[in-house]
Amino acid sequence: MKLSNYLIILISIILGFCIDTFINQFTVQLFIELNFGFLIFSYWIFAMPERFHSFIPLIYGLVIDLFFSTAFGFNMLFFVATSYVIHLYVFRFRIFSYFQLSVFFAGSSVFYIACKYLLLSPLNYSYILLIVSFLTNAILWVGIYFVMRSFRRYIFQVT
Amino acid sequence: MARTTPTYTPIRNYAIGFFLSAFLLFSDINYESFSGLRGTAKAATLYVKLSSNRFLHNIGDIFSSFQESNNLIQENTNLKEEINRIKTQNSLKNIETLQRSKMLDSFKDLVDKFDNNIDIHKIASIDLKNYLCCSSHKIFLQNPQKIQIKENLPVLAGGSFIGQTSKQYLNLIEVILFSDSNHVLPVKSDVFYCNARGMGKPLLISCSPKINIKDLGSKIGDSIYTSGLGGIFIKDTKIGFISDISMDSAGELEVIITLLGNPLKENFYGIIGNLVDET
Repeated sequence: MKLSNYLIILISIILGFCIDTFINQFTVQLFIELNFGFLIFSYWIFAMPERFHSFIPLIYGLVIDLFFSTAFGFNMLFFVATSYVIHLYVFRFRIFSYFQLSVFFAGSSVFYIACKYLLLSPLNYSYILLIVSFLTNAILWVGIYFVMRSFRRYIFQVT
Repeated sequence: MARTTPTYTPIRNYAIGFFLSAFLLFSDINYESFSGLRGTAKAATLYVKLSSNRFLHNIGDIFSSFQESNNLIQENTNLKEEINRIKTQNSLKNIETLQRSKMLDSFKDLVDKFDNNIDIHKIASIDLKNYLCCSSHKIFLQNPQKIQIKENLPVLAGGSFIGQTSKQYLNLIEVILFSDSNHVLPVKSDVFYCNARGMGKPLLISCSPKINIKDLGSKIGDSIYTSGLGGIFIKDTKIGFISDISMDSAGELEVIITLLGNPLKENFYGIIGNLVDET
């Protein structure tokens, strides 16, 4: 894969985090934390596992930490860990239904949110937020899956 | 029969990445090792954002110059900004006058230091996502003249203290708000003194006075003032009021204080007591 493709993927992830930053300032009052950035990253690993091993997620995490996180290393840690877990089960995911995929990725996303609050903002940790976010991210995953799949096919000219 | 599909995922590289990230995270959370780097990146982003806004604004101005109504709107906006600036300056002067008359004896040196040392700065950005959800409550102020601002100086807005300067990146000054969970402010009421810590929630700080709830004597709505014990904020300036009194899980008395200065409503901020020469 060319460097430009890696950059396009990085831009799509950054865009996801930008959307998060913009939307979450309104939705967090309704106990909803959307996780576009993390889900888009997960999609890329899920869709093209052979292109992403440990190094690329580490670099992506570094860039995201630099511009979006309140602690250095947080996204690096989660990107590498998520990448490993997805790689372990990548072929099993191929036979999963959309519902099962939604549950898995929403679960990962909520784990990410929970750790973020526990590590960086424990005073605001809320189970209601996690439960509501799980449901919204499960729905969000389906949308991200189809949009990103079309985008991937367009960018990488998959027929 | 194989129960899982065969995959080849060597753990070594992942483990290295994992432990490296964990080490960076640990050192940043505990020792703030990368706060400078992160702050510079954030400031650079804001700087680009402000510059592009200014550029777009200038392009907009070119088009609007052909329309008289747009010019009037612009003039109106400028006048409103000027009124806000004058309001902030007035409130600063009022506080100064009040403080000077109140504590000329006890804080004479401190008050003298503030003479002609008030800088007015317009807000550049507030990290709204973190402000509304999380523990980190910081704002960035514009500093186009690149005035060197010292750390830990009191910052005023809307007639009340709202926080203190923490760092300076490029042309921006980072201000930590009282509601940030890392900020501790010595406060007092008529009956108690305590160190109030930010709750990580907008406008809220809390403290645990070492007295019984029966002896507290304060009630919801009572005013809270700076105690002056930290040596940064002038004594007896009203910063908020008691909004809740409760016992926490450990049986300690907890007083919740709602702050007066709302950073979401202010455009101009005053930094007082900056003694560093301009560059």
